[in-house]
Amino acid sequence: MMVGSKRRAVILSLIESMRDKGGWCGETHIQKGTYFLQELMKVPTEFDFILYKHGPFSFELRDELSNMRADMILEIQGHFPLGPSHIPGKGADSLKQYYPKTIRKYKEKVEFISEKLSGFGVAQLERVATSLYVTLNEKEGQSLTKRAEKIVALKPHIKIDQAIEATETIDTLIKEVEQTFS
Amino acid sequence: MAKNFHEIRDPIHVFIKLDTDERKILDSQPFQRLRHIHQLAMSYLVYPGATHKRFEHSLGVMELAGRIFDVITHKENVHGKIRELLPEISVDHRLHYWRRALRMAALCHDLGHLPFSHAAEKELLPEDWSHEKLTVAFINSPEMREIWNTITPPLRPEDIIKLAVGPKKLKDVTFSDWEAIMAEIIVGDSFGVDRIDYLLRDSYHAGVTYGKFDHFRLIDTLRILPRTSGENGGSQEPMLGVEEGGLHSAEALLLARYFMYSQVYFHPIRRSYDIHLKDFLLEWLPGGKFPTDIKELILITDNEVLVELLGAARDTTKRGHDAARRIVKREHYKKVYQKNPDDIRKNPESGEVIFEALKEKYGENNVRRDFRTSGNSTFEFPILCNDGRIAASFDISQVLQNLPEASFDYIFIRPDLREQAYEWLRDNRDTLLTRRIEEE
Repeated sequence: MMVGSKRRAVILSLIESMRDKGGWCGETHIQKGTYFLQELMKVPTEFDFILYKHGPFSFELRDELSNMRADMILEIQGHFPLGPSHIPGKGADSLKQYYPKTIRKYKEKVEFISEKLSGFGVAQLERVATSLYVTLNEKEGQSLTKRAEKIVALKPHIKIDQAIEATETIDTLIKEVEQTFS
Repeated sequence: MAKNFHEIRDPIHVFIKLDTDERKILDSQPFQRLRHIHQLAMSYLVYPGATHKRFEHSLGVMELAGRIFDVITHKENVHGKIRELLPEISVDHRLHYWRRALRMAALCHDLGHLPFSHAAEKELLPEDWSHEKLTVAFINSPEMREIWNTITPPLRPEDIIKLAVGPKKLKDVTFSDWEAIMAEIIVGDSFGVDRIDYLLRDSYHAGVTYGKFDHFRLIDTLRILPRTSGENGGSQEPMLGVEEGGLHSAEALLLARYFMYSQVYFHPIRRSYDIHLKDFLLEWLPGGKFPTDIKELILITDNEVLVELLGAARDTTKRGHDAARRIVKREHYKKVYQKNPDDIRKNPESGEVIFEALKEKYGENNVRRDFRTSGNSTFEFPILCNDGRIAASFDISQVLQNLPEASFDYIFIRPDLREQAYEWLRDNRDTLLTRRIEEE
């Protein structure tokens, strides 16, 4: 289990990696990126995720982001029309200097997830993250159509063709993770 | 003739109106217990006026929840996209049901509070218990179930629980978009009526003006909106937002929150008293924990605790004497260190390393630490602009972009040791800040 500053170091790495790849680090990007890291890549950040705002969401992670802002590890920038983005703050370098091993240990997984998600907008992130949530929580082997229907039932503003596309993306991603990291 | 509607005078909302079914909840034992739970724990030792209780706060939350419900479901205020996404909003009998459930949930949202409210709840309840879990137990209790069943149409306790507790504390329960918005009215981060009432009420009783803002204007301009208009890859998930004309009152609410946290809730002496109260309760309570059986918990209020605390302060042989004496005689521990930007830049664990060093130097029992942030402060909500566009709050509000995070990390020390501890810290601070906590 990873707690306190080590966990913060992983979140900071994710944010820096997403930004390096041109991604916009609003809270949704960090929430969904951390969900993929934890549930798909098995990085032990130990946040409790529930299905809530734009798919899987962790109130604990939201609080942790506030704590990181309070400790100057993160700052927020606003930019129309994309909303607020998290950027490293004045205390970020000191955190990285104190936790180099942790950052190195999860670097490959963090890079993989940010590569996959950093180009997505909020709506697309919402769809793929909800699809991963449904895939992991439904009975194993549930068909793609059934899972897509479940996504629409949970999030009625998502259309069925969008849900099918998101679920195809997730199935491909799961296979890629199995091949690359097993 | 029996009255169907009742009015209660209130210093914040002038009149709080309730019907006979709501009155049954008011008169129930679990709700009456809230007359004896201080809203702000022992803050009255710092702000003498802050002696108000959870009882009147819960009534205020019900009043505001009803007002917001009426505004956001009024036909002229419903956005076209929302009518499509939330069918409940166009069906009168369903609206009637949810309005009742919402007001009841608002009334019940604090039923499970321990004596002296939030003070040290984590340490004083068994693992996996919280005041929200106790609230669920009260709402599900036979006394309350009887009331839910006698209402026409009967209210489902599971709906009241969802709205009263919200998704943060009901991790295994799935919320529909509609239920999530109903819960957001009560416990939401941005516009929850729990927060609106406690800021107004706490500032009124504490005698600080920071908590005041134009809640009338804010409530009148609240709307359920899609998060974006759908352009630029934005989501259309429904959530609570405001019309452009209400933005300044929304900003004022969030500023009020920042100031109230900084000035009242995070006041170092108040936090020090919380620590002594926790120390007393840990010694006084059987096994150091409050009971989780609501039949036992209902018998323990601030009154029972205070009687024991005053007795223990006078009698050196009683359990919890030292902590009780420190509260009653005002010999509380004093702040010797608080986190600051310079130290954090040198060491991200500055609070922890200085706390450990002070304990080593002055003894574990003589040093205490307390730290917290106010929780989420990135207030992202949709704004319905005058031209019909939907914008993100953060993009058009300079105030929200620059709103600081209220937080503290205090270290307290026995009062007679403070001067020498100051001196010792002055001499050793730089060396201490080079200490590392082992990574692996």
